[in-house]
Parts: sequence; structure tokens; C-alpha cells
Amino acid sequence: MSAASGTRVDPVSAAVIGGALDSIAVEMGHKLARMAFSSIIRESEDFGCAICDADGRQLCESSQSTPLQSGPIPGYVRGIARRFAELGSEWAPGDVVMHNHPYYGASHGPDVGFVVPVFVAGELVGFAATTAHHLDLGALTPGTCGIVDATDAFAEGLQINAIKVVEEGRRNAAAWQLLRDNIRAAELVIGDMEAQMAACQLGAQRFTELIERYGLDLVRAASEDLMDYSERMLRRQIEALPDGIYRATGHLDGFEELEDPAYRDLVIEVAVTVSGSDIEVDFSGTSPQIDRPINMPFEGTVDIAVYLTLRSILLDSDREPSVPTNSGLFRPISISAPRGSLANPIHPAPVIARFCSGNIVADTVMHALAAVAPERVSAGVGNLKVVAYSGLDERGEHWVLMDIIEGSYGGREGKDGLDAVDTLYANTRNNPIEDVESHYPLRVVRYELDDAARGGAGRWRGGRGSVREVEFLAPGGFSIEADGHRWAPWGFAGGADGSPGRIVVTNAGASRELPSKVPYHRAEAGDTLRMVGPAGGGFGLPAERAEEARAADLADGFKIGT
Amino acid sequence: MCIAGVDIGGTFTDLMLFDEDEGSLVAHKVRSTPEDPGLAMISGIRELCEKAGIEPSRVETVFHGTTVATNALLEHRGARVGMVTTAGFRDVVHIGRHQRPQHYSIRQEIPWQNQPFARRADRKVVTERLGAGGGEVITPLAEDEVRTAARELREQGVEAVAVCFLFSYLNPDHELRAAEILREELPGAFVTTSAEVAPQFREFERFMTAAINAFVGPGTGDYLLALARALESMGIGGELRIMMSNGGLSSASTAGERPVTLLMSGPTAGVLGGAWAAELADRSSLITFDMGGTSTDIGIVCEGQVTEASARDTWLAGYPVMVPMVDLHTIGHGGGSIAHVDDGGGFRVGPRSAGADPGPAAYGLGGTEATITDANLVLGRLVPDRFLGGTMGLDAAASEAVVGELAAEVGLSLHDTAEGIIRLANEGMAQAIRSRTVQKGIDPRTFTLVAFGGAGPLHAVEVAAALEIAEVLIPPFPGITCAVGLLASDLKYDRMRTVLQSGAGIDAASINRELAATAEELREALRGDGIDADAIEVRASLDCRYLGQGYELRLPLAEARFSSADLDGFHQLHAREYGYSRNDPIEIVNLRITALGARPALQPATGALRPEATAASGSGDGWFRDGGALVCQRTAYVDRAVLSPREEVEGPAVICQPDSTVVVPPGWCGTAHESGSLILRSEA
Repeated sequence: MSAASGTRVDPVSAAVIGGALDSIAVEMGHKLARMAFSSIIRESEDFGCAICDADGRQLCESSQSTPLQSGPIPGYVRGIARRFAELGSEWAPGDVVMHNHPYYGASHGPDVGFVVPVFVAGELVGFAATTAHHLDLGALTPGTCGIVDATDAFAEGLQINAIKVVEEGRRNAAAWQLLRDNIRAAELVIGDMEAQMAACQLGAQRFTELIERYGLDLVRAASEDLMDYSERMLRRQIEALPDGIYRATGHLDGFEELEDPAYRDLVIEVAVTVSGSDIEVDFSGTSPQIDRPINMPFEGTVDIAVYLTLRSILLDSDREPSVPTNSGLFRPISISAPRGSLANPIHPAPVIARFCSGNIVADTVMHALAAVAPERVSAGVGNLKVVAYSGLDERGEHWVLMDIIEGSYGGREGKDGLDAVDTLYANTRNNPIEDVESHYPLRVVRYELDDAARGGAGRWRGGRGSVREVEFLAPGGFSIEADGHRWAPWGFAGGADGSPGRIVVTNAGASRELPSKVPYHRAEAGDTLRMVGPAGGGFGLPAERAEEARAADLADGFKIGT
Repeated sequence: MCIAGVDIGGTFTDLMLFDEDEGSLVAHKVRSTPEDPGLAMISGIRELCEKAGIEPSRVETVFHGTTVATNALLEHRGARVGMVTTAGFRDVVHIGRHQRPQHYSIRQEIPWQNQPFARRADRKVVTERLGAGGGEVITPLAEDEVRTAARELREQGVEAVAVCFLFSYLNPDHELRAAEILREELPGAFVTTSAEVAPQFREFERFMTAAINAFVGPGTGDYLLALARALESMGIGGELRIMMSNGGLSSASTAGERPVTLLMSGPTAGVLGGAWAAELADRSSLITFDMGGTSTDIGIVCEGQVTEASARDTWLAGYPVMVPMVDLHTIGHGGGSIAHVDDGGGFRVGPRSAGADPGPAAYGLGGTEATITDANLVLGRLVPDRFLGGTMGLDAAASEAVVGELAAEVGLSLHDTAEGIIRLANEGMAQAIRSRTVQKGIDPRTFTLVAFGGAGPLHAVEVAAALEIAEVLIPPFPGITCAVGLLASDLKYDRMRTVLQSGAGIDAASINRELAATAEELREALRGDGIDADAIEVRASLDCRYLGQGYELRLPLAEARFSSADLDGFHQLHAREYGYSRNDPIEIVNLRITALGARPALQPATGALRPEATAASGSGDGWFRDGGALVCQRTAYVDRAVLSPREEVEGPAVICQPDSTVVVPPGWCGTAHESGSLILRSEA
């Protein structure tokens, strides 16, 4: 151990091994993306890859991952360990475990994890793991998003809790048969699962090679140093913040159409306590859980939303490009939420549609920090919408397309907000229109910025939302999970609030507004669905906006603040 | 007859003259003139001809690698661009794929939003719509709206226009008609269409490619015209040909229409130069390793074929560029990369670079931070008075001082720190190569590492060792390999077209009609460039995938014709690439046609590939890792010019030549190959 910095190995070896770990994760990501079938993985990149040590601590992640997929991986590994302990199971060389149980560390049911153990000389030394969003897992309606009417965890589709789908190198035929018989579009889903397993096996092989090359002791010591390094970098930033308790409240639409007020206008209460180099985030006061699936798994969604938001604010990669993402980053942060609340539900409360709720957690954590780090945050962020389009093709087979409609960022000190983009803990890619229309009986009628929205005025304006309008060319259906229809993104430092989002369906020439949660809804050929993304909040007084910026907005056809 | 290759880089312009009658090669290097790059070319050619003792008028053809389009893109200095696009889709180029470039950043900017090529006010929409079923017209083009848009754009002062319609890759008619109207209304403006530059699906990427083409179009066109005139004024009446990112040469007029195909012009020539030198030495499976002052370019050559990037990997300067490109991967490590300890105590090499000015501390121009070059000097791998043939002295004391400061910070010895810098850089480059090759299903261990650029031969052996590569080849003129590559290239035009036919819907007759028509169009272009009909070769391939899959594999077609039996080959290809095949319908995504206009092979006379003498001799201290420990060993200094064919140099040795320095570590042996290259092999 070098006395000066408290490290275990020399800095060169640590850097070399750190680089090698990153390149293993990247290689896993390439393998998965190239082999995958569904556009949610190959186009949207809604997957994660990581290597963990034997304790489930994440050592590296693939840069192609979406944060909400790679971040939860350690939770999957811990959840499997917990389940194994209950069952008396143990890891064996050649195993592949499948896992998606949201009360055992998984992010939510559709994000299925595959984990392969790495053994060196008979000792379990780590895991190669991937997660990916799957198109269908046998829930009550087609697809895995917009299942907003599930009333408990059993209605959300298959719950797979640490199942060995390959046991010591032998495929567990019964498990695969069960999957195949209970999943719509099974060929596609199982093709994606095969891609995940292949990526894990590749990662395990590369990690083994790394250990053979440098020795287990050196790899372990370097891993500890890497985690310490990330922890140290984050602590330094936390220390620079004044101690204190910073609070903010976030709002969810909930279920606008339900009469019982317990389902509407729900709150996320956040208290961020900064104390020295530690941060504690507490959710006391958050609304109680409901029997609709917008509750959030505490481990896998709430914790990830908090970690990734704090990381993006305090160790913004635009300023700190080389801080590795590993479990060390989580050490300075502790999180608590009352049992039975939206942020810490009790099984079997449904959670499958927690995506937008988690983004509000992230946005509210940022809101709380805005008071002490205004130069690092953005004003309120516009939330996302996830739509599942589905139908039956000529052969009577199911088709499912999952489309994410972007949100937008609020204004930032010195900069306008980012327009029409995936936000906070999510970072997927949209489906190209030319891909969608070539493979599904849908036509995209409009995809542009919403230039009619007036919200988000400020010295630095909020980002613009998008409008995406889709026509059904054949009968089918859709379901939607969204939020941010009733609550506009918050303005900051005198900036105006942004504009809320909307959804409008048109059938036979008649249009009507839909709420932000739409359970499976049948559509006829010719029906159109128009989705309007929210505009982010403004930052600073609108009167202080630079004259040129105002003129450019006008020339570009925007109506902000008018 | 003589031909000249001219590669204009940021710091130096490299020139190479080949006299076809004598079989002789003459190399020359001048400082670049970034404000007017053509100046360096003209004065360089004049000096090159003097050196060769010939009149400039004997130069028949000039082959040129250029960064003019690349710099316009990197510095965001281009034309004011207007866009005419399908109504309802004004912001496709602004929303992009709705993904943030960085996962963990609130303060980041998105390049295409922050620095658009065509700002929203200059993006006009017109009524028209084609369908996915084969580009059928759903809504006819409203020509009056195009005319109105054109007039507005003219009033707004745009200099270039990109026409970008959905599904134009299936049916270019609407785009072509709109372009025609725009040319009428905006005489003198540069007008381009998306299907012309990138006839492939994925609208954001295609539209961006067209917008970039428009952005760099006027400037590149002016530049090429000025060059042609200047050459003419020197009495060089022959052709000016430009290296494209696909590894082929193009006529200057074609290059001027599609400048977006020139963005990797320079580094691509390097891959070809490396491949040419290796071919003379009978090596054909290669990883090229071109390390310069600020970055390193890695290319892959399989059985003599330079590999192409898949369209999904072709991003440049943060923007998607959907044109055929040699698969080049750039890493931010060069001789000027700065080593430092960051705030958290992490040891880093790069991405900051000392560049050419002030450069490494060793240059004595005011550099105060330890760079890769300084580390090499501390380790005795550069010979201070023999750098660049002795034309530039190196300050060893300055290097020791800056590396020493870093050593005190990390708590290692001077030499361990210097070696740590080199090891971290080499491991980083080796990882990049490994990730690049295994992605393509290639095992790097069976390849030869071809190292060039000023710094490539310094690092090549240790990078090779980290990859378990047994053989390294150093071309005769490693520092000017790009200029050599220009001379060794053929004319090459590519076309591709997205078809998206699958299963029973595959129509072989229509595919063959398309192939034949495109092949004829390309033959015609090559004949127009003066290539004999029998020197033209046409190759075709299909990008295929299982229906529903996201990535395509390239299936070559024999005789450039398709029959459905060819699809059986896809299952084998898939099994080879991914380890399994499926009994699923196959989707044909793109047709690709390449026409090559072969030029006479570059055949230097024996002995023509001998570098100039450097007068290096004697020996000095060199630090190398031997069985784990870093030890100082007596290291021989050898002048590459005095090596006779088949002569061997045992490591540890440093082989000097004017344009580079070759390090032969202990346990490795260098052999001068008859072809002029050096071959380094492990003796283990």
C-alpha cells in the first residue's frame, strides 16, 4: 500500500486494469446489441452490461448502456444471492441465472437480468451480468409498457426469481418451455435473451483472462482502488456543498381519470441532508403506495434515480470525464423511504409502470439541490411517455413496438435547456420513422418540436418538447404510461414553469384528450395518436433574456412566453 | 511520367514522387500552410521536383489527401445551410435519436442542437410524402411550395441547400425534382439531396449526412478549384485526384459534389500505404497503427482487403456521417499526450495534448508537462541528436525534469514513472485494437501490426506484445506513409441503396435490375475518368439480417449478380460471426456496388525504398522491462539506411531514420526485408 494516497497498487497498474475492465464491458455491449432482435435493444439501446465482484459490487459498465439498465445490476446480483439463501441454492461454474423480481433487486419485471458467475480455481470471484428491456413477458395485455391497470405484481407478467436457466452448462429445458408458452412474440423475446446470455458468457471469459494475466490479488486490489477513487471524487464534491437539509416536492399526475383522490396528484417528498462528505436522501412524506403500478421498487428504481442524479450533478461528465462508474460512487449516499410509500412499496404492490415516477424522483432530487448548486442543475425536466403499439399480423402473430416519446430539460445557468431528449436516469434512442413504417402497420404523420408551447420562458429558456403523431394503418391497439400532464416542469430563479405534456387520440374525425396513463386501448385503421412532450422550466427572469436569443426564438418560430 | 502524392496534415504536408520510367521514389516534407493549404502543396511540389531533378510539367497526375472538409466540420466553419424537408418533419435533424451524448451530465450540449448545420429558421417544409412499401407516392410534391421555400432561403442568404425527404432512398424522384427547382431559384448555390449522398434508411443519419455535405460543400469546391488552377499554372496539366474516406480516389469534380466523402481522406491513405508496404513483403492480414503527435488511427486489413466501417459506427466529430468509410478508429493518444495525476489521485495519459506548439518539454519550446515523447526520451528510446534525422535536437534534461515532477507526485522512481506513462498508453491502444477486432470476429493474434506515423514504430512492439501479436512491420517511410498510400490507390466509386425486402417478398429480378443499372452508371463514371473498360472491376454485396434483427452482415455476390440461392451463404456467415444461425426469414437491407478502376501497380525499383542516412551509431542506456523488472540495458543505435537486406538487429536497439524512430526491445529482433520494410519478431 502506497502511504501517500492510501492505495493498494501502483497507480499505473490501477489505471491499466481499470481500462481493461471498461473494455470488457464495452465488448459485452457490442455483442448484445449486434445479436439482439428487438428494436428496443438494438435501436433504443435499452440494455446494460457490467462486471461485478463476488460481493456484487459493480466494477465497470458498458458505455452503450442506458443508465437505468446498468445502474441496477448490483441489485440484481444481491437479489439473486438473497433468493439463493432462501432456497439453499449455490452458484456453480457453467450456471446462467435469469432474474427479474422487483422485490429482489430487479428494476422492474420487463428488465430481465442474466448473470453468469466467474470462477477461478474453484473460487467465485465475480459476475458478468446484462439487463435488457423485453417486449413481452406475458402480462395481462400485449407488451411490457403501459400495463397501467395491473393491480398487483402477479398481473405484470412472469416473475422470475433467480432461476437457473442453464445449470452447470446444461440448459434447463423446462424453464425455457415455460417461457416460450407464456410470452407473446416469444421468438423475438427469446432471441434477445440468447443475446444477453452470449454477452454475459463473453464478459465472464474476458474477466477470467484478465485475472489470469494479472493475478487475482492484483485485480482485486486494483478494483478496490478504482472504487475508492470514484468514492473520493464524489466526496470531494459533496464536501464543497454547505451542510444543511434541502427539500423539494415533486408531483405525479397519478390516475387523472379515477375519482378516488388517493390515485391523483401524488407527491414525492425529498429531503437531502448534506453533512460533511455524506449525503442522505429521505422520502418521508411521500404518498402511500397504490394498487396501480406506478409504485417504485426501492432497490432498482428509487436508489438508481438518486445515485445517477447526484452523480450527473456533482460529477457531471462534461466537466469530469474520467470518473469510472462503479459501486464506489454510491458509498457516500444513503437513502431512506417509508415502507408502504410509493418510494418503498410492499409486495405484491404493482410496479411495472414506475418509469415516469422514477424520473420525477430524479427531477425532485435535482430541485432540492438547486438551492445550493444552482450553477450545476437545470430547471424542471419534462417527463417521458412510453407507448406500446401492438396488433396481429396476417399470420395471426403478435407484433409489438415500444416507442419512447422524449421529454426536455429545463434552462441552465448560461445555457438554454436541451430540447426533445430522453431525460435524467433514462437515455434510450428513438425508433427511426423509416424503420417503424417498414416493419409495422403504422405511419408517423408528424415528428417535430412543439413550437406552439408557451411555457419555459426565462433568461435561459426551457428545452422544447416534441410532437409525435402516429396513424394506425390496420386495426391494433396501444397502451401508454406517461406523466406530467397536470404538473408543468418547475421554473427556477424567476424563470417561468414549462408546459405540460398532452395526448390526443383521433377516431373517425373526432379528437379527445387522453390522460397520462392509458391501459390497452383498441385502435381502428385511420386512428391517430398525437403525443406532445412537455417543455422544460425556464431559468432566470425572462426579462433578462438576451435580445439576440429572443430574436432567434422568434425567427425559429417559437412562441415561448408570448 | 511522374505521379505525385500530396498529403496535407495539420502540421506537415508530406509529398512523394514516383517516376514510372525510373521506378524511383522521392520523398519530401514541408510545413503546412493552414490559412491556404494549397500554398504548401504548390511550393512542396516545386521543391520535390527540384529534389528529383525534374521539371514540374513531367508530373502527370497529383493524388491528394486533404483535411479541408474535415477541418471545416471540426471547426464548424462552413456555408450557411438551408434545408427543404417533408412537411411535419422539420426537426428530424434537431431531435436526432433523442439520446444525450453523455449519460451523466446536466451541463452538456448536444452538437446538432447547439451548433446546427441548418438552423430552424432555415429549415423549410414542403408538402410531399412517400411510403415504405417501395417509395410509392402517398402525397405528390407541392412544387409551388418548393419554389416559395427556395425564394425564402435566397432572401435569408443561404449558400447551400440540403433536400431531405422521408423514404427518398426508395424513390429519389421528389428530392431530385425539388433540387432542380432550387437550382433554378438559387443559381450558384450548392444543392444536395439526401438520397444522393446516403441512400439508406434511418432518416436522422441520412439527413445529417446531407446537411454536412451542404455545410462543407461550397468551401471544398472552391478549394479544389483553386488547387486545379494553381497546378495548371505550374504546367501540371494532368488530373487532380482526391482520396475519399472509402479508400478510393475520385476525380476532383466528383469529390466537389460529395465532399462529405472526404472527411477521412488523410488517415485512409495511411491505411493504404501501410497495406501496400506490407503487400510488398507478402503480408496481407494487418492491423495498421498510425500514431502521430496528437492521435492514433487504427485500421484493419483482412486478406488484402481494407475493412469498411458499418454505417452505424461512422460518427465523426460527434455527428453521424452515413457514407462508406474505411474502418478507422481514432484514439486520443499521440506523442504529445500529457500524463498527469488527477484530483482523485488517478494516473492519466491524455486526452489533453501538448500538440505541436509548445509540444513536449523535449522540444524546448516551452512545454512544461510530461508527455509520451518525454517519457520515451527518459527511457532512452529516442536519441536526442538523431530526432527527425538530426534536424531537431531534443532536450533530455527538460524531459527528465517534467517526468521527475510527476514521479514525485505518484511516488515512483523517474524511470518507473516514464515506463508507466508508456505502459498505460500502450495498454490503452492495445485495448482499443482488441475491442475493434473482436467486434468484427477477428483474432488479432494472427495479424501483423503495421506501424507508422512519427510515433508508431516507437510503441509498436509493446502494443503488439500486449495483444500477443508476433510480428510487427515498419514500412520504409513510416513518417510519410499517407503520401505513399495515395500513390498506391485505385479509383473507386461506391453506391448503396436500401431495399428492405424479406422472405417471400424478395424479388431477385428487381434486385438484379438495380445492380445492373448502378454498375453501368459507375462504369460510365470511371470511363469518364479515363479508365479503360477492361481495367474496371465491379463488385456487389448485400447487407442482410434475419428479419427483425438490428445489425446487418455483408454477403458478397459472385459476378455482381443475385440469385436467391446466395442467401444460403448468409446462414453460414451468421454462424461464423455470431456462433449460430436460425431458420428465420432473411431480410435484404442494402445493395452495395463498388466499381474499381485499377491503376498500374506502384512498382519501385530495387533499392528505391531506402531512407536517407541519419549517421546514427554507437549505443546508450535504454530502460526496458525484463521479466517484470525495469532494468537499464546497453542499447545499440542503428542507422536504418545502412541496413542491407536480410540484416538483423537484435534488441535492445533503437533504429533511426529521418521520419521516425523504431524501438526493438530485448527479446525481439528486427530484420531488414528485401522489400524495404523492417520486420520485427519476438524471439520467445
